[in-house]
Formats: sequence, C-alpha cells, structure tokens
Amino acid sequence: MADDKKIAAYMCKGCGLGERLDVDELKVIAEREGRVDMVREHDFLCSEAGVQLIQNDIDSEDVTNVAICACSRRSKTEAFNFENVAVARGNLREGVIWARPDTDEARELTQEMAADYVRMACFESKFSNAPKSSGEQSRIDNVLVVGGGMTGMTAAIEIARAGYKATIVEKTGTLGGHLAEVWKDIPDRSPYADPVDTGVAAMIAAIESDARVTVHLNSTVTRTSGAPGRFAADISTESGSTTTENFGAIVQASGYKDYDAHQLPELGYGKTPDVVTQAELEKLAREADGGPIHRPSDGKEITSVAFVQCAGQRSDKKGHLPYCSGVCCMASIKQAMYFKDNNSDIDTTVIYTDLRTPGAPGEDFYRSGQKKGVVFTKGTVHEVVVGSGAHSVKFKDLILDEDAEMAVDLVVLATGQVPNSGPDMEQISEDKEAAKEAGEEYVEVPVESILNLDYRQGPDIPQLANGFTDSHFICFPYETRRTGIYTAGPVRRPMDSAQAKEDGTGAAMKAIHALEDAAQGRAAHPRSGDLSFPQFRKEGCTQCKRCTVECPFGAINEDEDRYPQFNEARCRRCGTCMGACPVRVISFENYSVETVGQQIKNVEMPDEFDEKPRILVLACENDAYPALDMAARNGNHYSEFSRVIPVRCLGSINTIWITDALNSGYDGIILMGCRKDDDYQCHFVRGSYLANARMSKIDDTLSQLNLEPERVATCEVAITDVERAPKLINDMVETVAKVGMNPFKF
Amino acid sequence: MSDIVASNETIVVVGGGISGMTSALEAAECGKQVILIEKNPSLGGRVAQLYRYFPKMCHPTCGMEINLRRARYNRNLRILTMAEVTEVTGKSGDYSLRVLLKPRFVNENCTACGECEKVVEAEFGDEFNYGMSRRKGAYLPYNMAYPQRYVIDERIIGTEDAGKAKDACRYDAIDLDMQAEEIELKAGAIIWATGWQPYDASRIQPYGYDRYQNVITNVEFERMADPQGPTGGRLVRPSDGEEARKVAFIQCAGSRDRNHLRHCSRICCMSSLKQARYVREAFPEDGMVDIYYIDIRAIDRFEDFYKKIQEDEKVSFIKSKVASIIKDKEDNPVLQGVDTEGGNRYETSYDMVILATGMQPSINREAFPIDIVINQDGFIEPDEKNGAIFASGSAADALDVNRSVQHATAAALRAIQVVNKTAGAGV
Amino acid sequence: MMSINTVMVEKYRNNFLREVEANVEEGEWVKMCMQCGVCAGSCPLGDAWEHPPQEIFMMIRAGKREDVLTSDSMWMCTSCYNCIVRCPRELPITHIMHGLAHYARRLGIQPKNNPTQWFCDVFWNNMMKKGRVNELKLGLSLYFKNGFLSGIKESLKNAGLGLNMVKARRMSPMDFFGGHGVKDISGLQKMIKKAQELEADRIDRHGG
Ligand SMILES: Cc1cc2nc3c(=O)[nH]c(=O)nc-3n(C[C@H](O)[C@H](O)[C@H](O)COP(=O)(O)OP(=O)(O)OC[C@H]3O[C@@H](n4cnc5c(N)ncnc54)[C@H](O)[C@@H]3O)c2cc1C
Ligand code: SF4
Ligand code: SF4
Ligand code: SF4
Repeated sequence: MADDKKIAAYMCKGCGLGERLDVDELKVIAEREGRVDMVREHDFLCSEAGVQLIQNDIDSEDVTNVAICACSRRSKTEAFNFENVAVARGNLREGVIWARPDTDEARELTQEMAADYVRMACFESKFSNAPKSSGEQSRIDNVLVVGGGMTGMTAAIEIARAGYKATIVEKTGTLGGHLAEVWKDIPDRSPYADPVDTGVAAMIAAIESDARVTVHLNSTVTRTSGAPGRFAADISTESGSTTTENFGAIVQASGYKDYDAHQLPELGYGKTPDVVTQAELEKLAREADGGPIHRPSDGKEITSVAFVQCAGQRSDKKGHLPYCSGVCCMASIKQAMYFKDNNSDIDTTVIYTDLRTPGAPGEDFYRSGQKKGVVFTKGTVHEVVVGSGAHSVKFKDLILDEDAEMAVDLVVLATGQVPNSGPDMEQISEDKEAAKEAGEEYVEVPVESILNLDYRQGPDIPQLANGFTDSHFICFPYETRRTGIYTAGPVRRPMDSAQAKEDGTGAAMKAIHALEDAAQGRAAHPRSGDLSFPQFRKEGCTQCKRCTVECPFGAINEDEDRYPQFNEARCRRCGTCMGACPVRVISFENYSVETVGQQIKNVEMPDEFDEKPRILVLACENDAYPALDMAARNGNHYSEFSRVIPVRCLGSINTIWITDALNSGYDGIILMGCRKDDDYQCHFVRGSYLANARMSKIDDTLSQLNLEPERVATCEVAITDVERAPKLINDMVETVAKVGMNPFKF
Repeated sequence: MSDIVASNETIVVVGGGISGMTSALEAAECGKQVILIEKNPSLGGRVAQLYRYFPKMCHPTCGMEINLRRARYNRNLRILTMAEVTEVTGKSGDYSLRVLLKPRFVNENCTACGECEKVVEAEFGDEFNYGMSRRKGAYLPYNMAYPQRYVIDERIIGTEDAGKAKDACRYDAIDLDMQAEEIELKAGAIIWATGWQPYDASRIQPYGYDRYQNVITNVEFERMADPQGPTGGRLVRPSDGEEARKVAFIQCAGSRDRNHLRHCSRICCMSSLKQARYVREAFPEDGMVDIYYIDIRAIDRFEDFYKKIQEDEKVSFIKSKVASIIKDKEDNPVLQGVDTEGGNRYETSYDMVILATGMQPSINREAFPIDIVINQDGFIEPDEKNGAIFASGSAADALDVNRSVQHATAAALRAIQVVNKTAGAGV
Repeated sequence: MMSINTVMVEKYRNNFLREVEANVEEGEWVKMCMQCGVCAGSCPLGDAWEHPPQEIFMMIRAGKREDVLTSDSMWMCTSCYNCIVRCPRELPITHIMHGLAHYARRLGIQPKNNPTQWFCDVFWNNMMKKGRVNELKLGLSLYFKNGFLSGIKESLKNAGLGLNMVKARRMSPMDFFGGHGVKDISGLQKMIKKAQELEADRIDRHGG
C-alpha cells in the first residue's frame, strides 16, 4: 500500500438506503473499521450534485481511492466513472436491501449485511490502484494478412481504405485463391438471378495500384512473435529468403482445402473422369468460357448433368465431413446455369435432401435456377455406376418414395470445404495422451502450420470443432483465442465468397481495433478498454509454469531464464494466471489476491454459537453477478448470511481465497461461473473450466481441515438464472444447517 | 439535448439491436465519435426478447451484458433512445439528420428504484412480451433494460396515475411536461441497423393465428420459454393454461411465399430446432414435437445441432407446408395437409402450434428518410448510390446473430473509412 | 400414320418435362414447384387424388409420362382455385391440371370411364347445342349415366336441390323442352370450330 493514497467512502441514502439502513452506523464502520480517510453521505449520490461532490474531493482533496457504497457496479456506471482513481462499489442496493425483505424482523441482519459490504468496499478500494497502462505500448499501423484469397484481399483493401497499411503473404504465385479458379461467382447483389464475374481480377488490380498494400507471393509466415502492436513475422519465400517485418495486428485468411473426393468411390469418383467435383467443373467451365462444356472422358458435348449434393458431407461415416459446407447448394445452382445459359436443352438435375439457399439471395437464386429449367429432385444418391456411354446415378427419390436411376453424361459431386487452420494442438495433446494410456506409440500426422507462432501454447489459433477456429461464434464471432489475430473466411466457418468478403471486412475492422488498443495499452474483448494488466513479482516465482499453461489466450511466454514473460497486449485481463499462481505473485492494479482476499478477511465473522453462518459467494461478474442483481430487482430474495464478491472470471479464483475463507470461519462457499463444455459460455473460454479443475482438488484441503466437502460448491450459473442463483445460496445455508457451523471461527 | 456535439466526423448508428450496438461499439472503441439512435426506450432489439440462442443454447443476455458494459464505459458513444430519424440530407462525409426525440417523461435522475411503478395503477399490454402479459403505466421495459431508466407510458399522461408517479419519485426524475423535440445532427457516415419485425402471422389466414388461441408465433414462444417471461418459463396453452406437451412447428410461415415474404428468413429452421429442444427439455418423458418443413436449413456448423435433434425419437420431421389449421372441441389445433415424402395425407391434432414466422425488414420503403437503394425483398442493397449510408445486420438480409455481428463489424469499418477520409487521415 | 401419342413419345424421347412445357397449358410452370405440398393439402377433394398436384409435378420431372397421362388424378380438379391461391410459387395449378387432362385426351390416352371426363363430354355436347348449358338436361343425363333405375334414385336424392334451383330461377323445368340459347348459335359454333382447328394444327405441328 503506497502512502500517498487517500481513501474516501461515500454513502448514498437514496433508493431507500436511507430508510432501510442505519447509514450513520455504516459511516462509523467505514471510518473505524474500514479505516478510510474520509466518509461522506449524500441523499442522491448519482445525481449531478452527488457526483460533483466526489469529483471535488478527487480534485481538491487529492482523493485517490473511492469506495462508493450505493448501488451495484452495474448501475449508474457512467455517473461513477472517474478517471485516474481506483473505484470500488459497495453494492448496498441490489446486493443488500433489494435482496432482503423490507420487514422489521429482517432489519437487523440486513444492517449486518450492509456493514460487511461497506467493510468490503473500503478494503477493496484500499488495496486497489487506478489502473494505467504500462507505458510500453507501441503502434504499428500495418496489418499482416495471411492468405491472398478473396477474404484476404478484401481485408487488405478495406484496411487500406481506412488509411492503414496491409501486407498480404500468399503461399502460391497468384492472388485470388479458390475464387481465381472459378469461372463465375454466385451473385451477391439483388436480383440474384445469374452467375456474375468473380471480381478477382479487379480486386488484384486494386491491390496492385494501392500503395498501402504490399504483397508477398510464393511466401509463408515461418515465425510470428510478439503481441498486438508489435508482432514480428518472418516472411519466407519459396526460394528460402526471409525478411522480418513488424505488424500491429494479424488477419488469418488461410481459407479452406477442397475435400478429397477419392474418399467417395461409391459415387464413382476416380473411376471415370466424368465424375467431377464442383471445383473441377469450374475448370471445365473456364475452358468452355461460355461455350458448350465437354465431357472429360471423350470430349463429347455434355447434354445431361446430375449434381449430387452433400457428397461426403453431413455424414458421420468415416472420412466424411459431419458438417454442411453451406455453399454447395448455391454453387450447384450456379453451375447448372453454366449449362442452361449455354443451351437450355441440356438436362441439369440437382439431387438434394434439403436445399439450403437461405436468406433473400438464396431463395431468389433458387427460383432463378428453376426458371432456367434446372430440375430439383429431393433424394439421396447411393451410387454412381460408371458406364461406357452414360453414367447411371442411383438414388432414392424421396418424394415419389421409390428407387430411381438417371443416366447422365456428367456427375458433379458437391463436396465440402475443409478449413485450413493448421495443427489442432489440443487434439494432438489429447491423442498423445490417449496413445500413452493405451500404451501405443503416437504417430503424428504432420499438418502445416499457418502462423508458426512462437507462443509457448502452440503455433496456431486453437480450434473448436471440425478444424474451424475457436471463437464465441454467436455474439463475438471474431474473437479468437489469440489476441490481435483474427481469422476470417472459411477457416472460421464454411462460407461462400459473398460472406467471405463481408468477413474479411469485419476482420479488418477488428485488426484495426486491436492495433489501436495496443497502442494505448487497452485490453481487447471482452474487457475492452481495461487498462489494468497483470503484474508479476519475479522474485517470488518458482517457475512452476502454471500461469503459462493455463492462460486461455497464450499471453505468457518464457524468457531465457525460464521465467514467465507476460505480453500485456496479448492479455485479456481475465486473471486466470493470477488464479493459477500458487505463490500469488501475479496481480492487477485494481484486482489482485489482496483486493479480494482483504474483502474476505474483513467480513465480520460471528461466533460459532451465534447461529449466523457466513456464505462466501464468488460470482462471475459477467453472468452470475448480473443474475443476482436482477434477482434482487425482481424481488427474489436470498440469504442475509451471504457475502457476494464479483470476480473477473472463475478462472481468476486463487485457491488461497478458499482456504483463507475456510480458515477464517466461513461456513460455506459457492463459486458461480459460466458453462464450460464445448458450448462454453465463459467469456474467457477456459476460465470456468480451469476453475473447476482447480476446485476438484480443494477436497484435499477440506479433508485436511476436517471439513465436509459440501461446504464448497462450484456451480454453473447463467445470466438468466434469476431464480436459481438465489436458490443456490439458500440451499447452501441449508447445507450448512445440516453439516453444522465451521469450527474455525475466531 | 443541445449538448450533443456532432460533426462530419461523427458516425450515426440508427437502431440499437445487436447489430447497431456492435457497429457503434466497434467504431467508438476505435476512437470515433458515435451517436446511437434507438426508437425504443432501451437497447437490445429483438435478441433481448429471445430466451436462448441456437446452437449453443446460451442466453442472449449474456453477450448483451458484455456489450452493455462496453457501452457504459465508453466515452465516445452517445445513446439517444425513443428517437427516430425523420430526415437525412447531404452526401457522404457530410450529412445532416433530423431526429425526433419522443418524451420519456423520465429524466437522467432516475435511479430505477421502481417507486413510481408501485403507485401507478393503469396497466397495458407488455410490448416486450408481445402483449402476453401486462405491465404498469410506469415501467422498466425489461430486466436488463439500458439505459436503466423508467418510462412513463404516454397514455397515463394527464391521468391521476401520472401525478401519483411524479409524487412517488424522490429524485425529481419524472417530468410530465416533457415534450417531443426535434434536433439536428451532423454526421460523416450513417449506419442503418433497424433490424426486423416478425411477419404478421394473422395474414396467413388458413393458420388462424387470429382465431385460435393455441396457435402462437415463434417469437411469442421465445418469451414463453423464458423463466422471466409471461408464463414464468412454463410452456402452456394460452386457451387453458394446460401444459403443451404435443407441439407442432410450421416452418416458412409467411416466408418463401409470394403471398407473403418472398425471401427465406434463414433463422426460423434453426429457431424451431432450438424451440423443439425447449419442449423436449421441459417434458423429457412425453414431450412430442412435429416439425413441418420444406427444407431444413441448418447450414454449416449448425448441422450438428440438427443431427442431435434428429436423433431424438420424440421429434419428427414432415416435409410439408401445412395447408390449414382447424380447431377441435378441446381447442386443439388440428393440422391438415399432405406429407410430400410419399404423399400421405394427415390430420393431426396438437396441444399447441407454433408458427415459425419470418423476419420482415423494418424498413419502410416509402418513408425512408433519404433516397437509397432498397431491394425487392425490402432490404438495403449495398449500392454506390447509397453514399455513406451502410446497412448493418438484418437490415441487409435475413441474418442470424453471428452473421449480423459479422456484417455489423464490417459496417463499422465502412463508416470509419468515410470519416477517416473526411478527417484527412492517412494514419 | 403413327398415332399422335407415338409421335410425341418419339419427339421428346424421355424428356417428358419438356413435352409438358411445350404442349400443356401453363406447362412451363411445372419446373417452379418446390414440393411444399400445400396445393395437395388445400385441395378439398384431395382424398380422391391418386397423385396430388405436387406429386404429378415431380412425376413429370422424373419422366413418368405414362403414369401421369393415363392417371385420372388431374381429372379430379374442380377448379376451386384453393391451390392457386396458396401456392407459394405462384403455379397456376388448376390450369396445369386441366391442361394435362386436355393434353392426355388429345393424345387419346386419358383414362376411360372416368366420370369427370364423361361429364365434360356431356357438358360440352349440351352446351354446344344452344350455346348455354341446359342445367336440367345436364343434371338428368348425369343421373342417368349408370342406367335408368339408379338414375331415378339419384334424382330423388337431389330433388330438393333441384327444386331450390328452380325456385331461385337457376333452373327452369321448361328447359326439358329445349330451353333458351344464345342469340347467334351458329356463330358460336363456327368460332369454336375455328379454335379447335387452330389447336389441332398446333399439336400437329408439334407432332409432325
Ligand atoms: C423466433 C426467432 C428466434 C431466433 N433465434 C435466434 C437464435 O437462437 N440465434 C440467432 O443467432 N438468431 C436468432 N434469431 C435471429 C435474431 O433475432 C436476429 O439475427 C437479430 O435480432 C438481428 O439483430 P439486429 O440488430 O440486426 O435487428 P433487431 O434486433 O431487430 O434490432 C433493430 C433495432 O433497431 C430499432 N429500430 C428499428 N427501426 C428504427 C428506427 N426507424 N429508428 C431507430 N431505431 C429503430 C429497433 O427498435 C431495434 O432495437 C431468431 C429470430 C427469430 C424470429
Ligand atoms: S490475465 Fe488472463 S489473459 Fe492475461 S495473462 Fe493472465 S491468464 Fe492470460
Ligand atoms: S429458414 Fe427454414 S423456415 Fe425459415 S423461411 Fe427458410 S426454409 Fe423456411
Ligand atoms: S403449392 Fe406450389 S410449390 Fe407447393 S407443392 Fe404445390 S405447386 Fe409446388
């Protein structure tokens, strides 16, 4: 605690606090027990006058730390947003008076509750400092774009249009990726009727004439180090020369690979050149260039084509893709039009199970295809029999409910997109583990890395399922698990070119956002704007590496002496490292083992025989804490014996808090965090999961202390658990009633 | 409201749903001055009214909490609620907007303590719950409403209730004389994120939405599933409050139909799969769901979700656009039509039927405040002629949330490009 | 000479869809169907159809020429227009059904003894006589189509209806003795004849 701190506590008497609570007593508590330098009260603290009162104290009384004992930190946030001071909020409204009934009997214990929250706020404030950035920021307004397909090109152009620079690293000798191989594109503008130019040539021309965009062809990224605002990437050419350049942020647009249709022999692939994939048909169409398309086997003009949808997709068979690539229905319609537009007498049949042409563009294009005479048949193809003249497509017609057969010149298989996302580190380690357990040797299938990150946590962006990169893909689709690196295009999810362009533009936005954040030391999502960052006391570190391993965002490397090396700009400020550290040397200015530990310690602990248990609730500030706030607003009361402390993430919970709490007499502890499975809701991805893992070991501590395991509960709580969250607290009170009070009260 | 400073480097975002919020926040966090204009008293848009999201079955309010926190802390973002843009003039990099601010009758002093609500007696249909419940004439639109400030319903102005509300407020937050006000704003670029509306189901005459109580829409069902919704999360028949255990979903109710919306609304297939899970989770033993569809559009990674539901024996899929609904003596809706796979005729009765109504763009072609290109389906086209007016999210196409956010993020950049150019920034 | 049916088979080989598009009234709409089935479901006589409309469309697309043209399904259509009103794809289903029936008859492969078809013939002959339908005779010939006895029974069943029609002046008992016709009956007959010629010509051209 630095000496030049001046701490002031403010008591609000508005919103019923004045009536429900004995504010004079609370003031005394703040002064005597909270040991703050100054206590003030106000009838209406969030009013202009109230806020001014605080601001005046900051300006003229040199107050550095404030403890605002009023409403929840989620209320009136704008009003109590003071610059350069440490702010703690004692939640007396939602957390105390609204959480309790307004009755005479309840009054005394409600007051006790409030008194504790005042103590907690005072101590939190006292042990906090106003966060400010480390001052080690750098700003580079050049964005590295890995991959020069439509997504990457779009990202680069859009970055340049905003006044920043972009550098494309493309593995092949040309820009354009898959789309350059395509004859025409699915229309992306109303009325969505005909195939259109791909725009690749125009895009390449735009890139070539834009001084802000640099292109490295035949090149890959062979090493990436650093952090947002100061990435360094080795760009190596095929010929072996390497240059190193610095970047503010990265867009990974490494696209997809075509599914290997050789895995579909039953559909005739490989048995005749007349069974082609959609990609191969594009080649035929390009050769024909609007003229008749010829059959690969004998050069005959094609008069009939069947398109087999979902070939090797939406299937659990080994070697098949379980997902739907989302573009092949539209692509088949487009390709059928290649034939129809040339000669409407050519028979084109699309055999599908669900025609997936969503949105306005999809439905219009479907209709347009029908208008042009493309036949759509709901059916499942089970075999393509190669013939000498025509080939026979055998399928079950699902509408006519019968087996059917169709003779065609050409069969086009709608095979899917396989993300090009580099090795899946988590899968590899799982497989290794499994092999070890089975006593087998682990055979590594080499997968080329895209980014070659020198991160201790692996060379590429972590994946979620089926090789697509991990993100909170509903609300925050771009947020990968590597800060400042955004994936875009089919590496993120299967998509068509229209969406890829949109996605490239969005990722460009995020990259610019990231480099601007890095320049000012601000955190990226989800604590965007947060200036606090993890500080690390090297002297105490035992090099156990837990922080390095557990950080969900790969923010921590190791230095030459094998000490953890924090990369502030890579950090998302979740505090998982702080929770992991057994010697507690990691902290933030305004969130540390102390800021929470002191709150826990300074709750007044009644005597064992007082029959007033104390339940500590450590609640995720993103979901569980708001749920409790809303519960109180709705009048769902919960026990007056609970003391709730919000935490940045369950992952930030250091087990010392738990042991200290048990040692100082808490009777029950509840950890409320987010869902942690594959459909995780934890905003820090792994935090909740890791906390659970840590807590599974707390039982040892409990048994050492001779305490019942039921006293500590870890629960998944959603923000909507407005009824359940209070119930969990009340249940714990009952549990305590059953197992008895904690004997360690002092 | 004279304190709003705006220049031709300001970005105005119209519509405060997930798309508008995303666009606004991305731009504001990049240091741009942003004004967000929302028609309703609070932000959130439609997603606030959803109970859970496919395919993670997570809660929309979870992501919203993060976005609201971003909004609360951001000093570059100015939010105007109960506001509508009435006119836009000018060109890219130099727009003027006229904005109509409707009276909330509650000012910034409001602490959301709720005392006014306690004393007011008048009740009205709760818009947030699509009229399935009632709320007071002084109300907080929903639990997480932001700005966290009450609203006095215009309809109680001049009544005794209004006076009571005013007297109950101890913070001088209620101002019954508040008048509608028109202000003028400058902007360099405008992001249009006005989203969508549920298609009016009563127009699908043969389904009898306006005649049968036990035929409801998917948006209503979302509210019903929400524990904080009008039924406390119980899935019940509106006619008698009995549990709805046997439920049918009718897909493309008003979508993909030249009589209604021509476009496919993209989300309703997934949304019904999700809602089928609500039913199955509520009644794991005997809940039964039939989904009547034309095509199940569970594209890309959503396929998993579809597959999981297909595995549930109690959920069946019938390829058929239901022809009509009649009602039997027990108020059960009875579905009639033909299963096109095999051509079998059915006549099946259910406890309740949910119409998977589609997304209709909230864009009034005739009354749009400036001339821009709107396509045949009513969405904003990305056209050069639109200058620096950019669509965001479901104003551009029927989009689910992740695609809306993707689109909204891109829209933010497009706007930034314009204002950076105005500012002469070669960064 | 080959029958017109054989000519058509030869001409279109296995592409029945194209044959329908070229020869059947509104046949070019068949490809637009998306198999939702609302037409089938909204047809009041749906039960009576062996192949409901959307199935017929699928059969056409699947090249089931014989099955479609000899089917009595499209003869079931009573022109209530329910399906047209509901079809999300705007298919003029009613017209296509009549078109198909008409085409089948042209080709001479329509189902024999199909009551609708029989009725059409009766209706046609009845109308061509005076240029107006003689409701009474039409009704009677319908009732007596299966012989005298059953005819009496049928007429008695529907006697109430007939009386009501008489009362409402929708039918006159005097019609039995001729009834009134249009003014220029021979003009009408000429017109119809010309139309028939044109149509026959069109089909012959396709057939030739
Ligand atoms: C039943 C149903 C279930 C769904 N479930 C899911 C799901 O589980 N997962 C998923 O991803 N998607 C789901 N969706 C889709 C999801 O609702 C949309 O993707 C999302 O709402 C789009 O957000 P938006 O911001 O573009 O539009 P909106 O949410 O409509 O927001 C638009 C905002 O603009 C405001 N506004 C409108 N006009 C004006 C104006 N003139 N001036 C100022 N403001 C204006 C509105 O008040 C509103 O706040 C579902 C849709 C339905 C129908
Ligand atoms: S706070 Fe979180 S993101 Fe930052 S270093 Fe620690 S664990 Fe990693
Ligand atoms: S998403 Fe499904 S239900 Fe909705 S309009 Fe499209 S096909 Fe119909
Ligand atoms: S209603 Fe129209 S689209 Fe639907 S099956 Fe019938 S003809 Fe086809």
